[in-house]
Amino acid sequence: MSARRQFNACDGFASIMASSSQQSIQKVVAFALKYFSRCGEDLWECIVEECQKGSINHRINILYFLDSLCETSLLAKAHQLPEQSSSSNKQVNNALYVDYVSRDLTQIVECVVPVGRQGLPNLPSTKQILENWRTKRIIEPQKVDEVLSLLSSRDSAPDTNSTSVAPSAAKSEPHLSRGEIFKRIEEDRERHKRLRERRWVQAQPHSGSAVPSYSMFTLASFLPLSDTENAELALDIEFENEWEATSDWNEDDVEATAEERELCHPHLKRKGFTNDEDEGEQEMDIDLS
Amino acid sequence: MDSGHSRVPSPSQLPASFSKYHHPYFTSAEVQHLSEKQRGKLSATQEEKARQQACGFIEAVGSKIGFPRKTLATAQNLYHRFHLFFPRKDFNYHDVTLAALYVSTKMHDTLKKPREILMVSYAVRFPELAAKSKSVGGEVDMDPPTAENDRQRLLAVERLILETICFNFTSKMPFSYVIKIGRKLKASKKLIKCAWRLTIDSHRTLVPIMYPPNTVALGCLYTASLLTTLEPPPSPLVEAQLDSRVATILKEKGDWERTYLAEAEDLEEIAHVLIDLLIQAAQNPSANTSPRTPASPSPHPSPRNQHLSPVGTPQPPPIPYKADQLIRLKIMMRQNEHPLRPQQPLGSADPSELYNGNDIAMLGRNQGTVRFLFGPPGIVGQGV
Repeated sequence: MSARRQFNACDGFASIMASSSQQSIQKVVAFALKYFSRCGEDLWECIVEECQKGSINHRINILYFLDSLCETSLLAKAHQLPEQSSSSNKQVNNALYVDYVSRDLTQIVECVVPVGRQGLPNLPSTKQILENWRTKRIIEPQKVDEVLSLLSSRDSAPDTNSTSVAPSAAKSEPHLSRGEIFKRIEEDRERHKRLRERRWVQAQPHSGSAVPSYSMFTLASFLPLSDTENAELALDIEFENEWEATSDWNEDDVEATAEERELCHPHLKRKGFTNDEDEGEQEMDIDLS
Repeated sequence: MDSGHSRVPSPSQLPASFSKYHHPYFTSAEVQHLSEKQRGKLSATQEEKARQQACGFIEAVGSKIGFPRKTLATAQNLYHRFHLFFPRKDFNYHDVTLAALYVSTKMHDTLKKPREILMVSYAVRFPELAAKSKSVGGEVDMDPPTAENDRQRLLAVERLILETICFNFTSKMPFSYVIKIGRKLKASKKLIKCAWRLTIDSHRTLVPIMYPPNTVALGCLYTASLLTTLEPPPSPLVEAQLDSRVATILKEKGDWERTYLAEAEDLEEIAHVLIDLLIQAAQNPSANTSPRTPASPSPHPSPRNQHLSPVGTPQPPPIPYKADQLIRLKIMMRQNEHPLRPQQPLGSADPSELYNGNDIAMLGRNQGTVRFLFGPPGIVGQGV
């Protein structure tokens, strides 16, 4: 690809990425995927460059763009776009741009959430996106954890005056107008809402099968069982996430269990197992005759 | 039955208003009675086959969308419940399963529109159409009138499903209990993982609508501990000892029953049902295509999948348990069983009177007020 063409591509990128709308993001994502095999690495460099310049709002836009880029890359990989299958063998096992994101994650996050108060407006969204990537194994948990601990170690740095993450950037970034701040609040609201809506979606492992065939007996119990997480099995990933998130058996569980038991056996009272004189009608009376 | 003397309106008379209450769990007598009623001319084997086909379909569509396990499990529960009250012969299983999935998405706040669910179901049902698709996500280009028709039917069945649960949108799942109780019992993580998978599979049976979630969880932990006896443990000796201890504890009645509010007899019953399911599946290897291998060869074979033969049968993963091993396990279990507890009889009211075929005819008609209560009488009003 000629240098000029490359430059134009970069230029096009910059202008489109300045807008945060889903539409523009999707356009650029499509463009990036289309040209991946030809000059993916160069385009990636453009993206990373973009990340290092521009306002704080511009940078969070890039991160949201990357989120969409990763998601779409994985989707494309699963469905084996013709453009990809014509590419060389070495690219077959990667997931397009996801590997670049993973490789350069620390650098990107450091740009999107620069040290000090100026970075704070981008902190919550960045954490949300990172956690989403972790849960869905878009990026390996270990890598995400590294970056997350980097961010939290910064929180305790002495020169940040408050733990509040309100967009009080007006003082430290004089070039953000009032209008831009409101626009940013609105955009954040929309984007957080969309992230929440997608939050429950489980990891879709990169095994490359377009459509799961189904049969009567695809039992979970028959799938290969190993000590460690099998990254190819969505249910293993979900189990690991649940394992981390589930608390130990506690008072609340005892309470909930007792309640549910009562619903199952209405004739058994909460305090004992004796069949007292019932008040009111019980559908399922035990026949003692 | 002399209706002149009875002051209770018979079901055929439609009263100005009446109440229906949510029946969260069924006894075996009820399940038997209701199933027989709905089965009609189908044999029990055919019914089981239909059930597994439907559950498999829910799995396929749901996992492609990326629903969490709880959404799929509840959808399967709703499907089982539905067919305790409505016969399979009157419904297409695609309509019922997708409606069940839709209701489940609302119950678990993992929302997807009916149209989206339908599109994925087409991709699963017609993989050759999905493969031809030009869109990034492989969406099938289904003709709009068909899709709209299917969507309407889905919504119609949804309404019936909602009535079978009396609009009670709560649902307690066993999954977290498997982890919590497994940890407290000091089971190995591997055993807990195995039990968690059995919990997923348990939703292909009626177990979760017969027993509360803590009992289901314990039943699955118990079954997992029994299954570990089938293979020599490659895991460290300490773990193997802990796991067999789990089997020992849960087999006998004891203090744990008071701690976890469950009974050993229930765990045994659940284990039998689950092992039966495993046996059935192990005896039907042709029905065991893995969700990862395409049933029909993809028209765009990627270099990665070249090891799969371009034509013909996909390779299912090897089944870890042999049918005869499992059957021997059952026999062994029967030898040391707990004595039978007195069965709860059906009771005076026929639970199928709660919902009957008339409901279908009644759909959309204004037949007076119905009060839907969230729980059985005696319980409702006590903080339910």
